[in-house]
Amino acid sequence: MPIRRDRDAARNVDEQAGPALVAADARARDPVVTASSLTKRYGELVALDELTFSLRAGTVTGFLGPNGAGKTTTLRLLLGLAEPTAGEALVFGRRYRDLDDPARRVGAVLESNDFHPGRSGRDHLRALALAAEISRARVEEVLDLVGLERVAARRVKSYSLGMRQRLGLAGALLGEPELLILDEPANGLDPAGVHWLRGFLRGFAEQGRTVLVASHVLAEVAQTVDQVVIIDRGRLLITGPLTDLTERGQTLEQVYLELTAKGAS
Amino acid sequence: MTAQLRAELLKQRSTFTNLGLLLAMLGLVLLAVLLHALSLPADRLDSASNQVQVFRFGPLLGALFAGLVGALSITGEIRHGTIRPTFLITPRRGRVVAAKIVASGLLGIVFGLVAVGAAVAVGSAALAARGIPITLDGNDYTLMPAGGIAAAALWAPIGLGIGALLRNQVATLLAIFLWLFFIENLLIDFVPGAGRFAPGAAAAAITGIDPDRLLAPALGALLLALYAATLTAAGAIATLRRDVP
Repeated sequence: MPIRRDRDAARNVDEQAGPALVAADARARDPVVTASSLTKRYGELVALDELTFSLRAGTVTGFLGPNGAGKTTTLRLLLGLAEPTAGEALVFGRRYRDLDDPARRVGAVLESNDFHPGRSGRDHLRALALAAEISRARVEEVLDLVGLERVAARRVKSYSLGMRQRLGLAGALLGEPELLILDEPANGLDPAGVHWLRGFLRGFAEQGRTVLVASHVLAEVAQTVDQVVIIDRGRLLITGPLTDLTERGQTLEQVYLELTAKGAS
Repeated sequence: MTAQLRAELLKQRSTFTNLGLLLAMLGLVLLAVLLHALSLPADRLDSASNQVQVFRFGPLLGALFAGLVGALSITGEIRHGTIRPTFLITPRRGRVVAAKIVASGLLGIVFGLVAVGAAVAVGSAALAARGIPITLDGNDYTLMPAGGIAAAALWAPIGLGIGALLRNQVATLLAIFLWLFFIENLLIDFVPGAGRFAPGAAAAAITGIDPDRLLAPALGALLLALYAATLTAAGAIATLRRDVP
Protein backbone atom coordinates (compact mmCIF):
# COMPACT_ATOMS: atom_id res chain seq x y z
CA MET A 1 0.00 0.00 0.00
CA PRO A 2 1.65 3.27 -1.08
CA ILE A 3 2.13 5.73 1.73
CA ARG A 4 1.88 9.35 0.87
CA ARG A 5 1.11 12.42 2.94
CA ASP A 6 -1.68 14.74 1.89
CA ARG A 7 0.73 17.49 0.87
CA ASP A 8 -1.98 19.91 -0.15
CA ALA A 9 -3.72 19.58 3.16
CA ALA A 10 -0.44 20.18 4.98
CA ARG A 11 0.20 23.27 2.86
CA ASN A 12 -3.24 24.66 3.66
CA VAL A 13 -2.47 24.52 7.33
CA ASP A 14 0.81 26.40 6.81
CA GLU A 15 -1.05 29.08 4.93
CA GLN A 16 -3.47 29.48 7.80
CA ALA A 17 -0.70 30.24 10.28
CA GLY A 18 -0.58 33.79 11.62
CA PRO A 19 -3.67 35.97 12.06
CA ALA A 20 -5.93 33.19 10.76
CA LEU A 21 -4.99 31.14 13.80
CA VAL A 22 -6.93 33.50 16.07
CA ALA A 23 -10.12 32.90 14.11
CA ALA A 24 -9.39 29.18 14.00
CA ASP A 25 -8.95 29.29 17.78
CA ALA A 26 -12.35 30.87 18.34
CA ARG A 27 -13.92 28.37 15.99
CA ALA A 28 -12.26 25.50 17.81
CA ARG A 29 -14.21 26.31 20.95
CA ASP A 30 -17.52 25.57 19.22
CA PRO A 31 -18.25 21.87 19.03
CA VAL A 32 -17.90 20.38 15.55
CA VAL A 33 -20.42 17.63 16.28
CA THR A 34 -23.30 17.94 18.71
CA ALA A 35 -25.83 15.26 19.63
CA SER A 36 -28.39 16.55 22.10
CA SER A 37 -30.99 14.23 23.62
CA LEU A 38 -30.83 12.36 20.33
CA THR A 39 -33.60 9.76 20.17
CA LYS A 40 -34.53 7.38 17.38
CA ARG A 41 -37.31 4.84 17.60
CA TYR A 42 -38.23 2.27 14.95
CA GLY A 43 -41.73 1.29 16.06
CA GLU A 44 -41.27 -0.33 19.47
CA LEU A 45 -37.49 -0.54 19.15
CA VAL A 46 -35.57 2.28 20.79
CA ALA A 47 -32.34 2.58 18.81
CA LEU A 48 -31.16 5.78 20.52
CA ASP A 49 -32.34 7.03 23.87
CA GLU A 50 -31.55 10.69 24.61
CA LEU A 51 -27.93 10.42 23.53
CA THR A 52 -25.93 13.56 24.24
CA PHE A 53 -22.27 14.22 23.40
CA SER A 54 -20.15 16.70 21.50
CA LEU A 55 -16.79 16.74 19.71
CA ARG A 56 -14.23 19.53 19.47
CA ALA A 57 -12.10 20.40 16.48
CA GLY A 58 -8.69 18.81 16.15
CA THR A 59 -9.60 15.54 17.85
CA VAL A 60 -9.86 11.94 16.75
CA THR A 61 -12.77 10.39 18.60
CA GLY A 62 -13.42 6.67 18.82
CA PHE A 63 -17.12 5.87 18.80
CA LEU A 64 -17.48 2.55 20.57
CA GLY A 65 -20.21 0.19 21.66
CA PRO A 66 -21.49 -3.38 21.20
CA ASN A 67 -23.31 -4.48 18.05
CA GLY A 68 -26.71 -2.82 17.94
CA ALA A 69 -25.69 -0.11 20.42
CA GLY A 70 -26.80 2.60 17.99
CA LYS A 71 -23.47 3.77 16.54
CA THR A 72 -24.48 3.57 12.89
CA THR A 73 -27.88 5.08 13.68
CA THR A 74 -26.14 8.04 15.34
CA LEU A 75 -23.90 8.55 12.31
CA ARG A 76 -26.90 8.35 9.96
CA LEU A 77 -28.73 10.99 11.99
CA LEU A 78 -25.66 13.27 12.03
CA LEU A 79 -25.44 12.96 8.24
CA GLY A 80 -29.11 13.59 7.53
CA LEU A 81 -29.76 10.12 6.08
CA ALA A 82 -32.34 9.54 8.82
CA GLU A 83 -34.50 11.87 10.88
CA PRO A 84 -34.36 11.77 14.69
CA THR A 85 -37.59 10.93 16.53
CA ALA A 86 -36.57 13.59 19.06
CA GLY A 87 -33.51 15.67 19.87
CA GLU A 88 -30.94 17.17 17.54
CA ALA A 89 -27.91 15.99 15.58
CA LEU A 90 -25.78 18.90 14.40
CA VAL A 91 -22.49 19.35 12.56
CA PHE A 92 -20.86 22.77 12.75
CA GLY A 93 -23.93 23.95 14.66
CA ARG A 94 -26.39 23.12 11.88
CA ARG A 95 -28.23 20.17 10.44
CA TYR A 96 -26.03 18.52 7.79
CA ARG A 97 -28.42 19.29 4.95
CA ASP A 98 -28.57 22.95 5.99
CA LEU A 99 -24.82 23.46 5.58
CA ASP A 100 -23.96 25.81 2.71
CA ASP A 101 -21.43 23.45 1.16
CA PRO A 102 -21.78 20.11 2.95
CA ALA A 103 -19.38 18.17 0.72
CA ARG A 104 -16.55 20.58 1.56
CA ARG A 105 -17.17 20.50 5.30
CA VAL A 106 -17.96 16.86 6.04
CA GLY A 107 -16.75 13.63 4.45
CA ALA A 108 -18.25 10.30 5.47
CA VAL A 109 -18.17 6.58 4.78
CA LEU A 110 -20.93 4.47 6.33
CA GLU A 111 -20.68 1.18 4.42
CA SER A 112 -17.67 -0.47 2.82
CA ASN A 113 -19.46 -1.51 -0.36
CA ASP A 114 -21.64 1.37 -1.54
CA PHE A 115 -20.55 1.09 -5.16
CA HIS A 116 -22.05 -0.09 -8.44
CA PRO A 117 -20.00 -3.23 -9.24
CA GLY A 118 -19.95 -2.40 -12.95
CA ARG A 119 -18.65 1.16 -12.57
CA SER A 120 -14.95 2.00 -12.36
CA GLY A 121 -13.54 3.49 -9.19
CA ARG A 122 -12.64 6.65 -11.08
CA ASP A 123 -16.15 7.08 -12.53
CA HIS A 124 -17.66 6.54 -9.07
CA LEU A 125 -15.55 9.42 -7.75
CA ARG A 126 -16.14 11.57 -10.83
CA ALA A 127 -19.91 11.33 -10.43
CA LEU A 128 -19.59 12.47 -6.81
CA ALA A 129 -17.20 15.25 -7.83
CA LEU A 130 -19.58 16.49 -10.54
CA ALA A 131 -22.48 16.67 -8.05
CA ALA A 132 -20.39 18.77 -5.65
CA GLU A 133 -18.63 20.77 -8.40
CA ILE A 134 -15.23 19.41 -7.42
CA SER A 135 -12.52 19.34 -10.11
CA ARG A 136 -11.36 16.27 -12.00
CA ALA A 137 -7.85 17.02 -10.79
CA ARG A 138 -9.01 16.50 -7.22
CA VAL A 139 -10.41 13.08 -8.21
CA GLU A 140 -6.92 12.06 -9.37
CA GLU A 141 -5.43 13.54 -6.19
CA VAL A 142 -7.60 11.46 -3.86
CA LEU A 143 -7.04 8.33 -5.97
CA ASP A 144 -3.31 8.92 -5.57
CA LEU A 145 -3.70 9.69 -1.87
CA VAL A 146 -5.39 6.37 -1.07
CA GLY A 147 -3.16 4.42 -3.47
CA LEU A 148 -5.79 3.41 -6.04
CA GLU A 149 -4.42 5.30 -9.05
CA ARG A 150 -3.32 2.13 -10.84
CA VAL A 151 -6.67 0.33 -10.51
CA ALA A 152 -8.93 3.38 -10.94
CA ALA A 153 -10.02 2.37 -14.45
CA ARG A 154 -11.08 -1.10 -13.32
CA ARG A 155 -14.65 -1.96 -12.39
CA VAL A 156 -15.29 -2.05 -8.66
CA LYS A 157 -16.37 -5.71 -8.81
CA SER A 158 -12.69 -6.63 -9.20
CA TYR A 159 -11.70 -4.70 -6.02
CA SER A 160 -10.78 -6.37 -2.73
CA LEU A 161 -12.50 -5.26 0.47
CA GLY A 162 -9.46 -3.20 1.38
CA MET A 163 -9.55 -1.45 -2.02
CA ARG A 164 -13.25 -0.71 -1.54
CA GLN A 165 -12.52 0.79 1.88
CA ARG A 166 -9.91 3.03 0.28
CA LEU A 167 -12.27 4.02 -2.53
CA GLY A 168 -14.91 4.96 0.04
CA LEU A 169 -12.35 7.02 1.93
CA ALA A 170 -11.29 8.71 -1.32
CA GLY A 171 -14.92 9.74 -1.88
CA ALA A 172 -15.13 11.17 1.63
CA LEU A 173 -11.94 13.19 1.08
CA LEU A 174 -12.99 14.70 -2.28
CA GLY A 175 -14.16 17.99 -0.80
CA GLU A 176 -11.15 18.35 1.55
CA PRO A 177 -13.56 18.27 4.50
CA GLU A 178 -12.96 19.58 8.02
CA LEU A 179 -14.80 16.67 9.59
CA LEU A 180 -14.44 13.01 8.68
CA ILE A 181 -17.02 10.47 9.85
CA LEU A 182 -16.07 6.82 9.30
CA ASP A 183 -17.77 3.54 10.22
CA GLU A 184 -15.27 0.67 10.67
CA PRO A 185 -12.74 2.07 8.17
CA ALA A 186 -10.00 -0.45 8.99
CA ASN A 187 -12.20 -3.44 8.11
CA GLY A 188 -10.47 -5.39 5.34
CA LEU A 189 -7.30 -3.26 5.24
CA ASP A 190 -3.99 -5.10 5.29
CA PRO A 191 -1.51 -4.30 8.10
CA ALA A 192 0.24 -1.69 5.97
CA GLY A 193 -3.15 -0.17 5.17
CA VAL A 194 -4.12 -0.02 8.84
CA HIS A 195 -0.80 1.63 9.65
CA TRP A 196 -1.31 4.15 6.85
CA LEU A 197 -4.88 4.91 7.96
CA ARG A 198 -3.74 5.49 11.55
CA GLY A 199 -1.10 7.96 10.41
CA PHE A 200 -3.52 9.62 8.04
CA LEU A 201 -6.19 10.17 10.70
CA ARG A 202 -3.63 11.51 13.20
CA GLY A 203 -2.26 13.89 10.57
CA PHE A 204 -5.78 14.97 9.66
CA ALA A 205 -6.50 15.92 13.28
CA GLU A 206 -3.13 17.64 13.74
CA GLN A 207 -4.20 20.08 11.03
CA GLY A 208 -7.06 21.16 13.29
CA ARG A 209 -9.58 18.94 11.56
CA THR A 210 -11.81 16.42 13.28
CA VAL A 211 -12.41 12.67 12.98
CA LEU A 212 -15.24 10.55 14.38
CA VAL A 213 -14.58 6.88 13.85
CA ALA A 214 -16.87 4.03 14.89
CA SER A 215 -14.97 0.81 15.47
CA HIS A 216 -14.87 -2.53 17.25
CA VAL A 217 -11.12 -2.95 16.98
CA LEU A 218 -10.18 -1.61 20.42
CA ALA A 219 -6.45 -2.21 20.13
CA GLU A 220 -6.42 -0.16 16.93
CA VAL A 221 -8.67 2.52 18.43
CA ALA A 222 -6.37 2.83 21.46
CA GLN A 223 -3.47 3.67 19.13
CA THR A 224 -5.37 6.19 17.02
CA VAL A 225 -7.89 8.20 19.02
CA ASP A 226 -7.54 10.78 21.74
CA GLN A 227 -11.20 10.90 22.77
CA VAL A 228 -13.80 8.18 23.16
CA VAL A 229 -17.58 8.08 23.20
CA ILE A 230 -18.90 4.71 24.43
CA ILE A 231 -22.58 3.90 24.03
CA ASP A 232 -24.73 0.84 24.73
CA ARG A 233 -28.41 0.26 23.97
CA GLY A 234 -28.72 3.76 22.61
CA ARG A 235 -27.47 5.42 25.80
CA LEU A 236 -24.21 7.16 26.57
CA LEU A 237 -21.94 5.20 28.92
CA ILE A 238 -18.94 7.50 29.02
CA THR A 239 -17.22 10.20 27.00
CA GLY A 240 -13.88 11.92 27.49
CA PRO A 241 -10.16 11.80 26.75
CA LEU A 242 -8.71 8.32 26.35
CA THR A 243 -5.99 9.16 28.88
CA ASP A 244 -8.61 9.79 31.61
CA LEU A 245 -10.13 6.36 31.03
CA THR A 246 -6.87 4.50 31.18
CA GLU A 247 -5.13 6.55 33.89
CA ARG A 248 -5.28 3.75 36.47
CA GLY A 249 -3.23 1.53 34.23
CA GLN A 250 -6.18 -0.26 32.65
CA THR A 251 -6.29 -0.88 28.92
CA LEU A 252 -9.10 0.55 26.79
CA GLU A 253 -10.35 -3.00 26.33
CA GLN A 254 -10.62 -3.57 30.09
CA VAL A 255 -12.48 -0.28 30.60
CA TYR A 256 -14.78 -1.00 27.67
CA LEU A 257 -15.65 -4.53 28.78
CA GLU A 258 -16.28 -3.37 32.33
CA LEU A 259 -18.56 -0.56 31.19
CA THR A 260 -20.56 -2.57 28.67
CA ALA A 261 -20.91 -5.51 31.10
CA LYS A 262 -22.44 -3.12 33.66
CA GLY A 263 -24.84 -1.89 31.03
CA ALA A 264 -25.93 -5.43 30.28
CA SER A 265 -26.64 -6.38 33.90
CA MET B 1 -29.35 21.11 -10.06
CA THR B 2 -27.10 21.32 -13.16
CA ALA B 3 -24.25 19.76 -11.17
CA GLN B 4 -26.50 16.89 -10.05
CA LEU B 5 -27.75 16.42 -13.62
CA ARG B 6 -24.19 16.11 -14.92
CA ALA B 7 -23.51 13.56 -12.17
CA GLU B 8 -26.64 11.59 -13.11
CA LEU B 9 -25.71 11.54 -16.79
CA LEU B 10 -22.23 10.25 -15.94
CA LYS B 11 -23.75 7.53 -13.72
CA GLN B 12 -26.05 6.53 -16.60
CA ARG B 13 -23.24 6.12 -19.11
CA SER B 14 -20.54 4.66 -16.87
CA THR B 15 -22.02 1.15 -16.59
CA PHE B 16 -23.12 -1.37 -19.21
CA THR B 17 -26.65 -1.57 -17.79
CA ASN B 18 -28.25 0.88 -20.21
CA LEU B 19 -26.39 -0.46 -23.24
CA GLY B 20 -27.55 -3.97 -22.32
CA LEU B 21 -31.15 -2.79 -21.97
CA LEU B 22 -30.95 -0.91 -25.26
CA LEU B 23 -29.69 -4.01 -27.09
CA ALA B 24 -32.32 -6.21 -25.44
CA MET B 25 -35.02 -3.77 -26.49
CA LEU B 26 -33.67 -3.58 -30.03
CA GLY B 27 -33.65 -7.38 -30.27
CA LEU B 28 -37.25 -7.64 -29.06
CA VAL B 29 -38.43 -4.91 -31.44
CA LEU B 30 -36.80 -6.61 -34.41
CA LEU B 31 -38.15 -10.00 -33.40
CA ALA B 32 -41.74 -8.78 -32.90
CA VAL B 33 -41.84 -6.62 -36.04
CA LEU B 34 -40.23 -9.25 -38.28
CA LEU B 35 -42.42 -12.08 -36.95
CA HIS B 36 -45.55 -10.11 -37.84
CA ALA B 37 -44.35 -8.59 -41.09
CA LEU B 38 -42.98 -11.88 -42.48
CA SER B 39 -45.39 -14.49 -41.14
CA LEU B 40 -48.83 -12.91 -41.52
CA PRO B 41 -50.61 -13.62 -44.85
CA ALA B 42 -50.33 -10.74 -47.31
CA ASP B 43 -54.07 -10.09 -47.28
CA ARG B 44 -53.87 -9.32 -43.56
CA LEU B 45 -51.14 -6.74 -44.09
CA ASP B 46 -52.55 -4.61 -46.88
CA SER B 47 -54.63 -2.05 -45.01
CA ALA B 48 -53.15 0.89 -43.10
CA SER B 49 -54.72 -0.28 -39.82
CA ASN B 50 -53.14 -3.73 -40.24
CA GLN B 51 -49.74 -2.29 -41.05
CA VAL B 52 -49.91 -0.15 -37.93
CA GLN B 53 -50.21 -3.38 -35.93
CA VAL B 54 -46.78 -4.38 -37.23
CA PHE B 55 -45.10 -1.10 -36.35
CA ARG B 56 -46.73 -0.65 -32.93
CA PHE B 57 -44.16 -2.90 -31.21
CA GLY B 58 -41.67 -0.04 -31.54
CA PRO B 59 -43.62 2.47 -29.42
CA LEU B 60 -44.83 -0.28 -27.05
CA LEU B 61 -41.38 -1.69 -26.25
CA GLY B 62 -39.84 1.80 -26.25
CA ALA B 63 -42.24 2.91 -23.51
CA LEU B 64 -41.73 -0.30 -21.52
CA PHE B 65 -37.92 -0.10 -21.59
CA ALA B 66 -37.97 3.63 -20.86
CA GLY B 67 -40.03 2.81 -17.77
CA LEU B 68 -37.49 0.18 -16.72
CA VAL B 69 -34.56 2.56 -17.23
CA GLY B 70 -36.29 5.26 -15.19
CA ALA B 71 -37.04 2.79 -12.41
CA LEU B 72 -33.44 1.50 -12.38
CA SER B 73 -32.05 5.02 -11.99
CA ILE B 74 -33.36 5.04 -8.41
CA THR B 75 -33.77 1.35 -7.45
CA GLY B 76 -30.28 0.57 -8.78
CA GLU B 77 -28.79 3.16 -6.41
CA ILE B 78 -30.77 1.71 -3.53
CA ARG B 79 -29.80 -1.86 -4.41
CA HIS B 80 -26.07 -1.14 -4.69
CA GLY B 81 -26.00 1.33 -1.80
CA THR B 82 -24.73 4.22 -3.93
CA ILE B 83 -27.80 6.13 -2.72
CA ARG B 84 -25.82 6.83 0.48
CA PRO B 85 -22.80 8.53 -1.14
CA THR B 86 -25.24 10.27 -3.50
CA PHE B 87 -27.22 11.82 -0.65
CA LEU B 88 -24.07 12.47 1.41
CA ILE B 89 -22.57 14.55 -1.39
CA THR B 90 -25.96 16.23 -2.10
CA PRO B 91 -28.00 16.13 1.13
CA ARG B 92 -30.72 18.29 -0.40
CA ARG B 93 -32.44 15.27 -1.87
CA GLY B 94 -34.91 17.27 -3.99
CA ARG B 95 -32.04 18.32 -6.26
CA VAL B 96 -31.05 14.70 -6.83
CA VAL B 97 -34.63 13.67 -7.62
CA ALA B 98 -35.06 16.61 -10.02
CA ALA B 99 -31.84 15.64 -11.80
CA LYS B 100 -33.03 12.05 -12.04
CA ILE B 101 -36.34 13.14 -13.58
CA VAL B 102 -34.54 15.10 -16.30
CA ALA B 103 -31.86 12.45 -16.89
CA SER B 104 -34.39 9.62 -17.15
CA GLY B 105 -36.58 11.72 -19.49
CA LEU B 106 -33.57 12.23 -21.78
CA LEU B 107 -32.78 8.51 -21.68
CA GLY B 108 -36.44 7.79 -22.43
CA ILE B 109 -36.15 9.88 -25.58
CA VAL B 110 -33.10 7.88 -26.68
CA PHE B 111 -34.84 4.56 -26.04
CA GLY B 112 -38.01 5.76 -27.79
CA LEU B 113 -36.00 6.98 -30.78
CA VAL B 114 -34.14 3.69 -31.17
CA ALA B 115 -37.26 1.53 -30.71
CA VAL B 116 -39.48 3.50 -33.07
CA GLY B 117 -36.71 3.99 -35.64
CA ALA B 118 -35.91 0.28 -35.71
CA ALA B 119 -39.59 -0.73 -35.97
CA VAL B 120 -40.34 1.65 -38.83
CA ALA B 121 -37.15 0.86 -40.74
CA VAL B 122 -37.31 -2.91 -40.41
CA GLY B 123 -41.11 -3.10 -40.78
CA SER B 124 -41.08 -1.03 -43.97
CA ALA B 125 -38.18 -3.02 -45.39
CA ALA B 126 -39.87 -6.35 -44.61
CA LEU B 127 -43.17 -5.31 -46.23
CA ALA B 128 -41.32 -3.94 -49.25
CA ALA B 129 -39.37 -7.19 -49.55
CA ARG B 130 -42.65 -9.10 -49.73
CA GLY B 131 -43.96 -6.67 -52.33
CA ILE B 132 -46.73 -5.38 -50.07
CA PRO B 133 -47.32 -1.68 -50.79
CA ILE B 134 -47.16 0.62 -47.75
CA THR B 135 -50.59 2.14 -47.28
CA LEU B 136 -49.71 4.26 -44.24
CA ASP B 137 -49.94 7.95 -45.05
CA GLY B 138 -47.59 10.75 -44.08
CA ASN B 139 -49.72 11.49 -41.07
CA ASP B 140 -49.30 7.97 -39.69
CA TYR B 141 -45.61 8.14 -40.42
CA THR B 142 -45.27 11.34 -38.41
CA LEU B 143 -47.63 10.63 -35.55
CA MET B 144 -46.42 7.17 -34.69
CA PRO B 145 -42.68 7.96 -34.34
CA ALA B 146 -43.30 11.30 -32.61
CA GLY B 147 -45.89 9.75 -30.32
CA GLY B 148 -43.69 6.76 -29.58
CA ILE B 149 -40.78 8.99 -28.57
CA ALA B 150 -43.06 11.19 -26.43
CA ALA B 151 -44.54 8.12 -24.75
CA ALA B 152 -41.06 6.79 -23.90
CA ALA B 153 -39.93 10.21 -22.64
CA LEU B 154 -42.91 10.24 -20.25
CA TRP B 155 -42.72 6.58 -19.24
CA ALA B 156 -39.14 6.98 -17.97
CA PRO B 157 -40.16 9.42 -15.19
CA ILE B 158 -43.21 7.23 -14.50
CA GLY B 159 -40.84 4.31 -13.87
CA LEU B 160 -38.68 6.58 -11.71
CA GLY B 161 -41.70 7.58 -9.62
CA ILE B 162 -42.79 3.96 -9.13
CA GLY B 163 -39.20 2.99 -8.23
CA ALA B 164 -38.92 5.83 -5.71
CA LEU B 165 -42.16 4.68 -4.07
CA LEU B 166 -41.48 0.92 -4.02
CA ARG B 167 -37.66 1.17 -3.65
CA ASN B 168 -37.19 -2.59 -4.18
CA GLN B 169 -35.72 -3.20 -7.64
CA VAL B 170 -37.27 -6.59 -8.40
CA ALA B 171 -40.69 -5.52 -7.09
CA THR B 172 -40.59 -2.34 -9.19
CA LEU B 173 -39.59 -4.02 -12.46
CA LEU B 174 -42.14 -6.78 -11.87
CA ALA B 175 -44.87 -4.23 -11.14
CA ILE B 176 -44.18 -2.37 -14.40
CA PHE B 177 -44.17 -5.61 -16.43
CA LEU B 178 -47.32 -6.98 -14.82
CA TRP B 179 -49.15 -3.69 -15.18
CA LEU B 180 -48.34 -3.18 -18.86
CA PHE B 181 -48.70 -6.77 -20.07
CA PHE B 182 -51.31 -8.25 -17.79
CA ILE B 183 -53.43 -5.85 -15.78
CA GLU B 184 -53.91 -3.32 -18.57
CA ASN B 185 -54.84 -6.04 -21.06
CA LEU B 186 -57.49 -7.28 -18.66
CA LEU B 187 -58.74 -3.74 -18.13
CA ILE B 188 -58.93 -3.02 -21.87
CA ASP B 189 -60.77 -6.30 -22.50
CA PHE B 190 -63.21 -6.25 -19.59
CA VAL B 191 -63.64 -2.57 -18.67
CA PRO B 192 -62.63 -0.73 -21.84
CA GLY B 193 -64.26 2.47 -20.57
CA ALA B 194 -61.76 2.65 -17.73
CA GLY B 195 -58.91 0.77 -19.45
CA ARG B 196 -58.28 3.44 -22.04
CA PHE B 197 -57.41 5.89 -19.28
CA ALA B 198 -54.62 3.62 -17.95
CA PRO B 199 -51.00 4.77 -18.45
CA GLY B 200 -50.07 2.07 -20.96
CA ALA B 201 -53.18 2.73 -23.04
CA ALA B 202 -52.49 6.47 -22.87
CA ALA B 203 -48.97 5.82 -24.21
CA ALA B 204 -50.42 3.80 -27.09
CA ALA B 205 -53.03 6.49 -27.72
CA ILE B 206 -50.34 9.12 -28.40
CA THR B 207 -49.10 7.11 -31.37
CA GLY B 208 -52.62 7.11 -32.87
CA ILE B 209 -52.54 3.39 -33.58
CA ASP B 210 -56.02 2.47 -32.41
CA PRO B 211 -58.23 5.57 -32.47
CA ASP B 212 -61.46 3.54 -32.12
CA ARG B 213 -60.63 2.04 -28.75
CA LEU B 214 -58.10 4.52 -27.38
CA LEU B 215 -58.13 8.24 -26.56
CA ALA B 216 -57.24 10.89 -29.13
CA PRO B 217 -53.42 11.36 -29.38
CA ALA B 218 -53.40 14.82 -27.78
CA LEU B 219 -55.60 13.66 -24.92
CA GLY B 220 -53.41 10.59 -24.44
CA ALA B 221 -50.30 12.79 -24.26
CA LEU B 222 -51.93 15.07 -21.71
CA LEU B 223 -53.08 12.17 -19.57
CA LEU B 224 -49.68 10.47 -19.70
CA ALA B 225 -47.99 13.74 -18.72
CA LEU B 226 -50.38 13.91 -15.77
CA TYR B 227 -49.40 10.36 -14.73
CA ALA B 228 -45.72 11.28 -15.00
CA ALA B 229 -46.19 14.46 -12.95
CA THR B 230 -48.23 12.71 -10.24
CA LEU B 231 -45.96 9.69 -9.88
CA THR B 232 -42.71 11.69 -9.86
CA ALA B 233 -44.20 14.10 -7.31
CA ALA B 234 -45.26 11.18 -5.10
CA GLY B 235 -41.82 9.57 -5.51
CA ALA B 236 -40.08 12.85 -4.70
CA ILE B 237 -42.13 13.40 -1.55
CA ALA B 238 -41.46 9.82 -0.41
CA THR B 239 -37.72 10.26 -1.06
CA LEU B 240 -37.60 13.53 0.87
CA ARG B 241 -39.61 12.30 3.84
CA ARG B 242 -38.39 8.76 4.38
CA ASP B 243 -35.06 7.76 5.89
CA VAL B 244 -32.47 6.71 3.32
CA PRO B 245 -32.14 2.90 3.34
